[in-house]
Amino acid sequence: MNRVLTLFQRWPFAFALLLALVLLVLNLIVSPSFLSPARLPGTLATLAPFVLVGFASTPSILAGGIDISVGPLATFINCLFVAILIPAGLGDWHLAAPIILAVAAGAGAVNGILVAVVRLHPVVATTGMLFLLVGLSLSIAQNPVAAPDNWTEVFAGGVGIVPGALLTVGVAGLIWFALRRTAFVSNLLATGDSDVSAYGSGVNIKSIRILAYTLGGLFAGIAGIALTALVQSSQSSLASTYALLGLAAAVLGGTSLAGGRGGLLGALFGAVAIYLLQQLLTASGVAPSLIQFAYGAVLVTGVVLGATLLAPRMKRNPS
Amino acid sequence: MNDQAPGLALAGVSKRFGATRALIAAHLSLRPGEIHTLLGENGSGKSTLVKILGGVHSPDTGSVTLDGVPVNSRSPREAIGLGIAVVFQEVLTAASQSVLENVWLGSDGTFRRRLGRSRQRAIAQDVLSKISGGIPLDLPAGQLSLSQRQSVCIARALVRKPRVLILDESTASLDVESRDLLFVELRRLKAEGTAILFISHRMDEVEEISDRVTVLRSGRSVSTVERSDLSVGRLISDMTGSSGHDETRRKPHDPGDVILQVSGVRLSPASAPMDFELRAGEVVGLAGLEGHGQDQFIKRLAGLSAGSGSVVRLLPEGGRELTERNGDALGVAYLPRERRGESLFESMSIRENFALPTLRKDRRGGLLDSHKTARRFEAFARSLSIRFGASQDAISTLSGGNQQKVLLARWLATDPKVLLLNDPTRGVDIGTKREIYAILNRLSAQGMSIVVLSSEVDELVDLVDRVLVFRDQEVFAQIPHSGLSTDSIVAAYFGQKSEVHT
Repeated sequence: MNRVLTLFQRWPFAFALLLALVLLVLNLIVSPSFLSPARLPGTLATLAPFVLVGFASTPSILAGGIDISVGPLATFINCLFVAILIPAGLGDWHLAAPIILAVAAGAGAVNGILVAVVRLHPVVATTGMLFLLVGLSLSIAQNPVAAPDNWTEVFAGGVGIVPGALLTVGVAGLIWFALRRTAFVSNLLATGDSDVSAYGSGVNIKSIRILAYTLGGLFAGIAGIALTALVQSSQSSLASTYALLGLAAAVLGGTSLAGGRGGLLGALFGAVAIYLLQQLLTASGVAPSLIQFAYGAVLVTGVVLGATLLAPRMKRNPS
Repeated sequence: MNDQAPGLALAGVSKRFGATRALIAAHLSLRPGEIHTLLGENGSGKSTLVKILGGVHSPDTGSVTLDGVPVNSRSPREAIGLGIAVVFQEVLTAASQSVLENVWLGSDGTFRRRLGRSRQRAIAQDVLSKISGGIPLDLPAGQLSLSQRQSVCIARALVRKPRVLILDESTASLDVESRDLLFVELRRLKAEGTAILFISHRMDEVEEISDRVTVLRSGRSVSTVERSDLSVGRLISDMTGSSGHDETRRKPHDPGDVILQVSGVRLSPASAPMDFELRAGEVVGLAGLEGHGQDQFIKRLAGLSAGSGSVVRLLPEGGRELTERNGDALGVAYLPRERRGESLFESMSIRENFALPTLRKDRRGGLLDSHKTARRFEAFARSLSIRFGASQDAISTLSGGNQQKVLLARWLATDPKVLLLNDPTRGVDIGTKREIYAILNRLSAQGMSIVVLSSEVDELVDLVDRVLVFRDQEVFAQIPHSGLSTDSIVAAYFGQKSEVHT
């Protein structure tokens, strides 16, 4: 038992991984064709926005804050692309992709500046941003606008035999992997763990915080692309669906809301677990109204487990 | 270069925090290749000086120069860039990051690592083995002992190869072996030409390692002594400035019966159990350098913290263990140290702040009668001469001293037999201080027992019947009324027993 606990403490995402595996088996029992090659690209395409919104939530939490505007940012990007960029003739990938990613990272940076420089509480700053983005999305495209043929379709289908969803998730993962090889992630984790220690040791915690939110915004932009790929229309109404799912995925994946512990793998497994749970409940004919209830139950269980049983025992300061 | 001596120099540095003058025209010169100790009692300005050097605060006036070049660091990062590395008094580690990450924390840029991972490992390993006999690099810092974490913080400063190394009470949390290793390393660095500013409250360490000692008193640098002229007696009298204090000490009353009995209380698992009796009408002082157990002791008396041993309130009908509830029927009231964090409700009125624990006295038919509250408050306001506009005004309209009097009234209203005061005159102006002393004198003459924790030595000499001086979570000395003087108290702070009391 102790060795299992040690494993969980070493790998905070272990619980989400285990849960995802169990849910995968259950899904296969209920619907044996779940992983068939024909269904796989579609399944992954539905999964990708979940995962990416989870990624987007992670950096700000690691920095010791929180960003609840990443889900609405993804849907705003979706509306911006479909209802503005395409009609304006900016729909080509080499024009649209840079604009989308810059806007998304910019929104994240504004959050970061509000938190790190203006010193607003992260919940206040990003709630403001959430309403701003939801409002903007509604004024751009109140009703769904269908997107004509465009480059995002690739990410819902496939490139050769590679499912397209792996590309969007993969790009975000690669960015994170590259950052891990720099000092940035170390600085980020230290800032979230103890900002006093980081500041006293000479870490520029202001720019680290701003960059964390900016990175979250960038991931939300990629999530917006993955979402557009999936729905092929503007869907401002999805904002509320994604608003809290990202946070749920990150937290279920073992990323500590106190900051300093966790990573993208946690958000990945957390999002997969939530998605599989949803699939399982739908496939086994549970009423849709109960699905959210089940989310909640799983999330609370996961967080309680993470916070009590599985968190490493830190020696407390005597002071 | 110019004609100034090499090394770090502070000239006429002053720093003010609100009404508190933390540093007043302080001077210090720190030469390359010396270990210079900074000595002073609580509130003498040591930590402020360190924080100025470390880029946390910037001085209001005066100059800091390194080899003649002005130092104007506005953040720890800038100070480090100039070659000034500070190990702050607090043990600053990121608990869930590895030892390796913690050692190199802040050395890198936002993205760029200054050294390759394997070089970082090798250097961290080397430095840690020198100063602590080796700590596993991949363990999370949160799983280390306090002494090991402090070693990690020191290693963080050492890997930067600073020109100026500042250790603010870093030995306080080190175990003996690590401290000896650190001293070896400090001597080696000194031989290489590093300028080291060392702060410690252990006289044996100060005598062992200092080349020179500068004494700070109430924010002023009062003397700098060469190693050859070092004497503990001289340092202590420099710290207290014992020449000019007016003797206004009180005459003790004859104490009554034992009212509070403490037995077998340990302030840390390793410290010796202590016994203590408080008699009716007694005024007992608690003293010691910051963090030596006096704060834990007064909270233990207040019933706020649990632990081994017992604190029993002796009543005519028998002994009762204290409860956590402040100012309850057992008649023990505690006034916490931090007005803003622990006592005041800043957005509420003077009257509400006063009445909160005693509102039940103002009930009429189950409802609150605000006139009753007002009348009760007026009575206390008169007897404590609290100066205020209207009792419905916000508490924040009052001066610090008057806020403290309102809080004193709050707990006096619970009709206590034992009053526990945690540094009651902190941030209070001198006139109000005198008034508070007079109030406490009057209360004790009426038979109330008072325990005062104070960081001001003069205050203790004036106010109390006897003083317990804490050191390393134990009572180091009990100084009776006849032996009370600033020198005897400060000597005990620093582990010296004067002959008067043994």
